[in-house]
Parts: sequence; structure tokens; C-alpha cells
Amino acid sequence: MQNTNENFSFKKYAWNQFKKNKIALVCLYLLLVLVIIAVFAPYIANDRPLYAVYKGNTLYPALADETRTDSIYNKQGDFVQVLQYDITDWRQLDLTSVVWAPIPYSPSSMDRYNRDYASPSGKQRYKNPKGEIIESPSKFRHKLGTDGIGRDLAAGLIHGTRISLMVGLVSMGIASLIGIILGALAGFFGDSKLKMPRIKYYFTLFGLFMGLFYGFGQRKYALADGFSQNFGSGMLEMLYSILLIVGIVLFFRLLSRLLMKGKLKEEVSVPIDTFVSRGIELLNSIPRLLLIITVTAVVERSIWIVMMIIGITGWTRIARFTRAEFLRIRSLEFVQAAESLGYSSMRTIFKHALPNSLAPVMVSIAFGIASAILIESGLSFLGIGVPTDIVTWGSLLNLGRQNLEAWWLIIYPGMAIFLTITIYNMIAESMRDALDPRLKS
Amino acid sequence: MLKYALKRILTFIPMLIAISLIAFIISINAPGDPVERLSKAAGNEGSAEQQSGASKKIKQELRKKLGLDLPIFYMSITDIASSDTLYKVQDKYHKSNLEALTHQSGNWQAVSDYYNSLLKLQDAHMQLNAKDIVANNQSLVLNDVNESINQFGFEVGSLLETSKANLVDLKFEKMYSLLKNNPFLNILESDLNNTKKSRENLLILSTKWKTYIPAINWYGFSNQYHMWLFGDGSYRKGLMRGDFGISYIDSQPISTKIWQKVGISFGLSLVSIFLAYLISIPIGIYSAYRKDSAVDKGMSLILFILYSMPSFFVGTLLLLQFANPDNLSWFPVSGIQDPTTFDPNWGFWTKIKHRMPFLILPIITYTYGSFAFLSRIMRVGMIDIVSQDYIRTARAKGLGEKKVILKHALRNSLLPVITVFASIFPMAIGGSIIIEVIFSIPGMGVEVFNSILNYDYPMIITVFTLSGFLTMVGYLVADLLYAVVDPRISYK
Repeated sequence: MQNTNENFSFKKYAWNQFKKNKIALVCLYLLLVLVIIAVFAPYIANDRPLYAVYKGNTLYPALADETRTDSIYNKQGDFVQVLQYDITDWRQLDLTSVVWAPIPYSPSSMDRYNRDYASPSGKQRYKNPKGEIIESPSKFRHKLGTDGIGRDLAAGLIHGTRISLMVGLVSMGIASLIGIILGALAGFFGDSKLKMPRIKYYFTLFGLFMGLFYGFGQRKYALADGFSQNFGSGMLEMLYSILLIVGIVLFFRLLSRLLMKGKLKEEVSVPIDTFVSRGIELLNSIPRLLLIITVTAVVERSIWIVMMIIGITGWTRIARFTRAEFLRIRSLEFVQAAESLGYSSMRTIFKHALPNSLAPVMVSIAFGIASAILIESGLSFLGIGVPTDIVTWGSLLNLGRQNLEAWWLIIYPGMAIFLTITIYNMIAESMRDALDPRLKS
Repeated sequence: MLKYALKRILTFIPMLIAISLIAFIISINAPGDPVERLSKAAGNEGSAEQQSGASKKIKQELRKKLGLDLPIFYMSITDIASSDTLYKVQDKYHKSNLEALTHQSGNWQAVSDYYNSLLKLQDAHMQLNAKDIVANNQSLVLNDVNESINQFGFEVGSLLETSKANLVDLKFEKMYSLLKNNPFLNILESDLNNTKKSRENLLILSTKWKTYIPAINWYGFSNQYHMWLFGDGSYRKGLMRGDFGISYIDSQPISTKIWQKVGISFGLSLVSIFLAYLISIPIGIYSAYRKDSAVDKGMSLILFILYSMPSFFVGTLLLLQFANPDNLSWFPVSGIQDPTTFDPNWGFWTKIKHRMPFLILPIITYTYGSFAFLSRIMRVGMIDIVSQDYIRTARAKGLGEKKVILKHALRNSLLPVITVFASIFPMAIGGSIIIEVIFSIPGMGVEVFNSILNYDYPMIITVFTLSGFLTMVGYLVADLLYAVVDPRISYK
């Protein structure tokens, strides 16, 4: 957003408006806290100590790679034992000096002395380095209780923060990418403004067909192999495919210049607005949760795939807002000025129009993040989509539902989901009020 | 208006086709073979050999009955190397293996030779009888012979489903070593050599370039999608005539299953929407009437917070508090009736009375979801309208505030609320999966959830298509209602 004059900036104005809403400001700080928790989750909740001195060796187990293996020698230089960091029970070691993480448990580590839903206020057992089973010292108490197989709830919540925030970010990232591009094109060009020679139009469509054939049809097995290895190499193959498609389309568009004559040269308009609007309508008429549940049930269980599906089905709102904003903006002077200066459409759209239309889109992205988090926790609550070994807020709440006596498994994860969604909704709402005073209610 | 409605209904058709196609595409990519599942559900007795013969026949009939022996769609886009008769291969895994092999070599003839020689090898292997072999050669032990034969069979079977070159070579190596160590398997040698040769041919005669040229195959109307839509003339009537097919779980007709379950979901959503309106409209009116008062501010904050509370959390909390022997055991935990005392011959009101305690918590959860949302819409809409000119005029001509709000403003502020009403029909068919799962209500939500978990695709496609249809009908009804309520809107 550019300055309209020297002293006034819309950004500043909006921020001042936003700051007036104290609750929203508090929510912004709370979001910051959540982000910090998510980033530092492995150091907040970890069953490996942050710092430990064992037989004269100084170790930083929580900071090291999980699968690291060290051979330990004592001060005399004699070999003592091999420590593999992730399977060592650090509580049983004779550590001369140790600093534990604030929550000395990992989300998936099972404490076998506190199985079967150890209550946060009840009796908890602990095995000390001497091998005696005693009442848990307050440092090693499960402060929020455990689940049926002895996993610490607090650790689960801390690491669940990471997943929830990531779901919101990644899925809405995908959704905004699709939504903003499609909405901008539809709103800017409408049904009649995107013109190209007939032959170029046909060749683009044909090129798209060929591109899809080579990019996805031909490379089907390469893609499947990539995804069966790991998500990263799958995405790399996907990127190749997309580049291939773009390349082929561009090639065919170039090729069309050879035939540019006579009737084929006539300009036709591409009804891009109709395409996009029909797509939005189509996606809106399928119940979203049903679609997401069905697709997640068919594909492999993976948190990344869940994020992708939420993103791919969630772009319609953003596209609608972007489209509406572009419809308004395209008749404003500065856009017309850019056009009359002879800038290309792409430059006008992305450099001039888009920055000025992002405000309402940001609001719907923020609301979208809240609903993405809600959907993911709903899926985990139903026990589908996210792999069973990953602890999320929704899956914890589901454990609580199955055993109503463990109230802590209902209240705490539920509150975590509820708070996060409230924070995002509150920020979105005051953002809307700040960015567009007309919408203020 | 009629013209507008007709025009809108016409646009339903391409939309519905698109929705059904999406559902169809998801369903054909689902893992597992429906025929295997259905025939397993049927389950028949008999000795191993009899069973394999009989079950093969049953499976073939089932495949035919379900139309799975037909091509999937009117057309397919492949490359010129692929065969257009691939759909005739029955086994799903063999089919995908053949596809992968064709993609590797680009020579369908060679692939099909290889496949046929493998099938022949498998047949020859089936002829082997461990008992006969032991009877002819006393020095052998029955168990060892059986084991070698089984091992050979396993290798052949997995060759039929593998396309990875190194794995295939490994399997051949294993089979040859089995042959070497067990002379009684020698009958298979010529077939195995043939197979090996056709496998080598497959590599030599590779025409990879063919896979780079697209081809469009046209199958005509005799395909699965067409049959699903219009029926096959005898056994199935098709979606268009109200036949949704049969469930893969229990072979029941889908329409019967839906009829059994839809009532409870529809009833719940109807009651809860009604309750939600009953609470939220007065709240909205009051907030707008006393705008910026302490009550309004507090109320809108509370509504905002309630709005962010996920309904599955609310449902679980209610269970924790009111259906839990540790706290208050006021309501039963799950289900909608007590199987020990419930009598299906009861009259309508007796049934309702019996089910009441079971339904209170679900209804609260259901209502809760729409209530916070509706109240917020209502409040915003009301405030928007109160600031308009005609309200100022009404006040200026000296009408009382009560009359202004209830008579002039209310009618127009109901407009956005109508849209919500449109969503209740699709909600009934899809059910609220999460709420029904929490309270174990045997409605559409649980039904759909189970069919998703069991890959019961006829059910899922049906629910998709129906709810898409109902959503569009809902939008249309909402638009028409708008025009009825608001004379400013006209569709001419």
C-alpha cells in the first residue's frame, strides 16, 4: 500500500484503528505466544534433558539430533556405555547435573508407571535412578495428566500447537495462492476483457490438454514413486510436472504465431470469469467437510495431505473476495492510468491492482485459518486423516470422549482448540473493522 | 420469476454432472476391490478347491451384476501404446500392473503375451497335486512338496502384480532355483521358459516412444458411469429413475438405507434450526434496539466466543457434565432409544416421549452450532437496516421505537437469515457427521461416516450427488424467497 500523501498512510491508519480494540491486541500477543510455543516446542516439552553432565561428559540431548548415538567414556578414559539419544531413559541415568525441559516428557513417549489415565491431581508414580518406585516428585509430575498409554497431556498440547498453527498456515497458503490468482484474473478481465487471437486461444487450450497429458498422465508413475518415497521428493516431482505443463502451454502459444492469419487472427474473448465463477459454485455446492473426509479416507494418511486437501477445497471464499475487489478496482483511475501507460496486464494486476485489494482478502484468510484449524481438529477428533502416531489437539479430545472419566483429556485440548480459533477469529474481525470502516458493526 | 427459476434449474444439470463426476473419480481411485469385499461378505462353505472354483464364478457374476466388467467412462485418454480393451481384465491389481508394464515398454502386444504366458504358468501350477507327486515318488515328504508348490505359486502370483524390473528378475531367479532344487516341478519348466522369454521380448521389443503420443478411446454408452446414471435396462434402473445401486457393505439397496436413516437427521436439523431461530431473532433484535449498551456489548462478546467454540467440544463437554456417573447422570450417553424397553409398534408420540432424554443433548449441540452464527448475522443485519433512510423516515413521522423496529426493520433484517434455512436440506442428507458420531445417533451422519471408512462408494457418490442437488435447490429456494419477501428484488 503506497502513501497517498506524505503524512497519511493507510497502513498506519489501519494499525491505529486495530490498536484501539484492546481485546484484539491481547489476541495478537496471545498469537505471538502460540507461535513461540510452536517454534520452541521441542525445548519446552522433551523427555531428554536440555543439559546434562554424565560421567564428566557435558551433553545437550534435547538440542541434538534425535537418533544421535554417543559412546560415553568416564574421566579415566574407560568406555562406559553407548547412548542412543532417543531410546535412552535419561531419568534412569546417574546424572551429576541436569537441566530438564519445563515439561520433561515428549508427546509420544509412554510413561509406563502412569498408564491408565493418571489424573493431574491424583497419585502419580515415578521410578528414580536407584530403581525404586516412589510418589512422583513435583518436577516429574504429569501436570495435566496422562492418557491411557501413559503419554503426557501437557507435552501433547505443546506439540499439538505446532501442528495446528502449521495446518492453518500451510492450508491457507495454498488456498490464498489459488484464490487470489483465480479471483484476480476473473475480476480484472471479466468475461470480455481478456482477448486473444482465435488461434492462440485454441492453441492454449490444446497446449493445456497436452501439458496435462505429459505432466500428469505420462508422469503418473514418476509422481507416485516420488510420493511413496517421502513427501519432499513427491513435491519435487510435482513441481517438475507443473513446470512441464507451463512450458508446454507456452510452447503452444508460441507455435500459434505461425498460423496467425485470416479468420484465425480475429480476436475472441476468453470467458475466464464464467470459468472461475462456475468453479466456485461447483465447489460450494458440495458439502466441504464431506468432501474432505471422503478424500482423506481414500488417500494415504499424512498431515501434509490433509493440509493440501483443506487448502484445495478452501479457496472459494478468498477468490470471491478478490474478484469483488478487482471488479471495483479495475475502474479506478490508477488502474486505468497503468493501462494507458501501456503496462502489460500481468504487471497491472500484480503490481498495481493486487496490493490495493489485499485488505478484505487478508480478513478472509484470517477467518480461513480459524476454520482450517477447526476442520483439522474435527478430522483428528473423528480419527481420520492424520496418522495415529501424531498427537494433535483433536486426537487428544477424541481420547477424552472415549473415556469420560479422564476429564482433563476433554477440557484442556478442547480449550486449546477453542482459544486458538477465538484468537484468529478475533484478529480477523478487528482487522476487518480496522481495514474497512464501512463494514464496522 | 418462473422463467428465472427454469433457467436456474437448467444450470443444475451441468453442475450435477460435474459433482457426480467428482464423486465418481474419487470412487474409482479407492483402494480395494469391491467384488472381493462383497463376496467375502457373502462367504460360502466348501473345501478349498471347490471354494476357489465356485467363488471365482460368484465373483464373475458379481462383477457383471455391478457392471465392473464395463469400461469406466464414455471415453478415456491414454497413449497409443495402451490397449483399449484393458478394462476387460478383471483383477484390479493385475489391471494396474498391466498398465504400469505398458507404460514401461510401450508395446501392448508384448505385454499381453507376457501376461498370457504368466497366466498359463499359473494354470499349469494349479494342475500340480502334491498328493499325486508323493504317491509317484515315495522318497518325498508331503509337507515339503506342498511348501515348494505353494512357494512357486506365491512367486507367480506376485509376478502378476509387480512391474518393478529388479523385483521381477528376483522372482524369476527364485522360481528357477525352486525348479532346480525340486525335480518334481519340472513339468512347469517349458511354461516358465516361455514366460521368461516373453519377459525378455518385452524388454527387447520396447517401443517407449508410443507412450508419448496421446490417444482418445471412445467406448460408447455401454460404460459404468452411463449405467450408473441410466441403468442397464434389466437389473439396474439407474440414478435417473431413483435407483442408487446397492451398498458394498451389506448388499442392501442404497435408497432403502437412506430412507431408514434420513428421518432422524432431518428431524434433528429441523428442530434445532427452529430452536435456533427462536432464540437468535429476539437476541438480534434486542442487541440492535439497544445498540452499544452494556447488554449489547456483553452479548456480542459472548456470542463471539460461543461462535468460536467447536461443536464437537461442546458435545463432549455436555456428555462429560450431564451423562457421566461422576458428575450428573441425567441423560443416557448414546443412542436414541433403550433397546430393552423400546417397542417399534408404539405410536408417534410415545416414541418421541421415549426418545426425548436421548435427544436433548444432541439437540442442544445441534442448535448451538447455528444459534451463535444466526444471532450474529441477525444483529449485524438489524443494525445495518436501522441506520437506513426509511427507518429514519418512520421515526420522523413519529412512530414509536417498538413499531419502527418490529414492523419496519424486522421484515428486512430477516433476509440474510433466509439463506441459512436453505442449508438445512443438504444438512439432513449428509447429516452432521461429528455430532452424530459423538452421540452415536443412527442417522445419515454415522451412516456416511461408516461408508467412508468402509469404502462403500455407491453410498458416498449418492450422498454427494444428492446433497449437491439439495444445496442447489436450497440456494434457488432462498433466492426465490428473497424475491417474495423483498419487493425490491426481481428476477426479470
